[in-house]
Amino acid sequence: MLFLDLTVQGLVQGAIYALIALGLTLVYGLLRILHVAHAALFTLGGYLGVIITNQTGSFALALVVAMAAVGVIGIGVYRFAYKPLLAHPPLVALIASIGLFIASEEVFRLVFGPYGLSFTDPPLQTQVEILPGIFLSHARLMVIAIAVVFLGLLGWLSASTRTGIAWRATVADPDMARSFGIDVERVRYLNFFIGSALAAAAGVMVALLNNLVEPTMGAVPAYKALAIIVLGGLGSVRGTLVASLALGVIEAFGTIYIGHLLDRDAIAFAFLIIILMVRPQGLLARG
Amino acid sequence: MKFKLQNIAIAAGVALAAMSAPALAGSIKIGFNVPLTGFAAADGNSALVGAQLAVEQVNGAGGINGDMLELVVYDDQASPKESAPLAVKLITQDEVVAGISGSYSGATRAAATIYQEDATPYIAAYAVHPDITRAGDYVFRTSFMGEVQGRAGAKLIGGMMGLKRVAMITLNNDFGKSLATGFKAQAANFGIEIVSEYEYSIKDREFGPIVSSVRADAPDAIYASGYFFTAGPLVRQLRAAGIEVPVIGQEGYDTQKFIEIAGPAAEGVIITTSLDRDSTDPVTQSFIEGFEAKAGYPADMVGASAHTAVLVMAEALRAAGGGGKAALRDAIAATSIDASTGHISFNGLGEVRKDVQVQIVKDGNWRHYAVISDPALLAPPEE
Repeated sequence: MLFLDLTVQGLVQGAIYALIALGLTLVYGLLRILHVAHAALFTLGGYLGVIITNQTGSFALALVVAMAAVGVIGIGVYRFAYKPLLAHPPLVALIASIGLFIASEEVFRLVFGPYGLSFTDPPLQTQVEILPGIFLSHARLMVIAIAVVFLGLLGWLSASTRTGIAWRATVADPDMARSFGIDVERVRYLNFFIGSALAAAAGVMVALLNNLVEPTMGAVPAYKALAIIVLGGLGSVRGTLVASLALGVIEAFGTIYIGHLLDRDAIAFAFLIIILMVRPQGLLARG
Repeated sequence: MKFKLQNIAIAAGVALAAMSAPALAGSIKIGFNVPLTGFAAADGNSALVGAQLAVEQVNGAGGINGDMLELVVYDDQASPKESAPLAVKLITQDEVVAGISGSYSGATRAAATIYQEDATPYIAAYAVHPDITRAGDYVFRTSFMGEVQGRAGAKLIGGMMGLKRVAMITLNNDFGKSLATGFKAQAANFGIEIVSEYEYSIKDREFGPIVSSVRADAPDAIYASGYFFTAGPLVRQLRAAGIEVPVIGQEGYDTQKFIEIAGPAAEGVIITTSLDRDSTDPVTQSFIEGFEAKAGYPADMVGASAHTAVLVMAEALRAAGGGGKAALRDAIAATSIDASTGHISFNGLGEVRKDVQVQIVKDGNWRHYAVISDPALLAPPEE
């Protein structure tokens, strides 16, 4: 029973990792940039979620607004931070991204205060017995629901719509796509919007699960999401998904059984190292 | 022409006299390293407000024999990489007569060795690592060592509350580990059986696996170490999972912020700490009122500890009467005063001897629950 319980906990955590890491994988696949500042968008999403819920009393509204606003800001990050640097080696954009992330932590502290914010009346707290002896709060169920719904939508979008096909074409070969009349710039905007909106959703859900948003809450996702996309195979969406869920479950069991030896992050990275030693290209690498 | 020149001369003379008047009253500089940015910024802000309040109170009552106390404040981000060079700067450039640490253990340890080398007295307000006072005879601590507080926790749970099967959730840094060591050392003496111990890192906010495991263990009580930003989410998640047994924490929880984050789950949480909100002692009461007025939020342990450290320093400065750093050190060692965290005196190592306050959350506020007054149990090490 504990075994099943831990697995479920791990999958919930994995779903959160998936929502964050997916945006990172999308940006890498498209532009070969390691978008470290993505974690700042995660944090911003969390803050907006808490502030809007506290002001209006509606969590649903907060989620929608946070996703939309952060999606647009994500486009802004591309437009003003990465686009001017595309002519240079990806390392330059990476440094800019890291700088942006570091600055964002302090901006959040200056704007929102150093103490962190909490919901005045957190929604979705009631427990549901989904399996005998295993209880999940509505909030945790919502994490799974959001992950399934959005990732499903994303899969449908990329496979079955004109926009999605244009997107995949741009990722595969931007010049060829351009010559077919695809507006590469619009595809990039869409890419950043979707990735950032997902990160914002993750931020809002994490805020709800912990009832706390802090300026530094993006610090761990910043590097862990990178580890996840490497683990899954750089640029592979399916790989990112598998790696996220696997990592969530490994951490859940690891923190209980070897927690006195290694802490959660050490366990995550030990797992990464072991997998990469056996399969250096990642779990489900493309091509 | 002559009239105008005379006017200018008179004006200049008056201005000079006015400027030099305040300079006649000396100012005594005390260094203060505190985390104002970074992950510990919240505690740093409380420590700063507590210390500033004490300085205002001391200066308002006439200062130290006419001289005013001045805090020279630097942000050390709770990092030893910052606190060490700042200590050097405070001693050599700012020429402080002594220092107070409003920061965590890592930063305080590093600075302590520097103050000791320069024979400058240093008081750690709330950092818990045992090695801080072992830096030497110029270093003192006005708050409990982690180990001492851990022992008090064992007496509280096993001896006073009568609960036997305990699950431990330990923060794996200096603070959490020293508490766990003290708790485990005394557990058997109070009939406690530690059914399990789980560790977590200071960055964790998601405790799903630990909560599930604790539920499977079915203990009588949970002894959990952490700060408000880890304990808040932890307690909330424990209660949300249907775990109703008492949760006992320590001074890391001791802020209003913990209650805000944990919400209704905070009700009934018990902690060992240094600040008694229901104290009738006038120094404590004036601190609590003054802190809330100055900070805009209710008083916490960190603010009280910094306040106490400044009061100890001020009293020692008065006793030493301008006799230099060695005389100041001796005066601190001989401290015996009532401050916001109780009656303060030091042992040979520079560790404080005082009672442990036990507080409980009732109706959304910290209230008095018990006092542990057991000098034998709470005796800090002598070396």
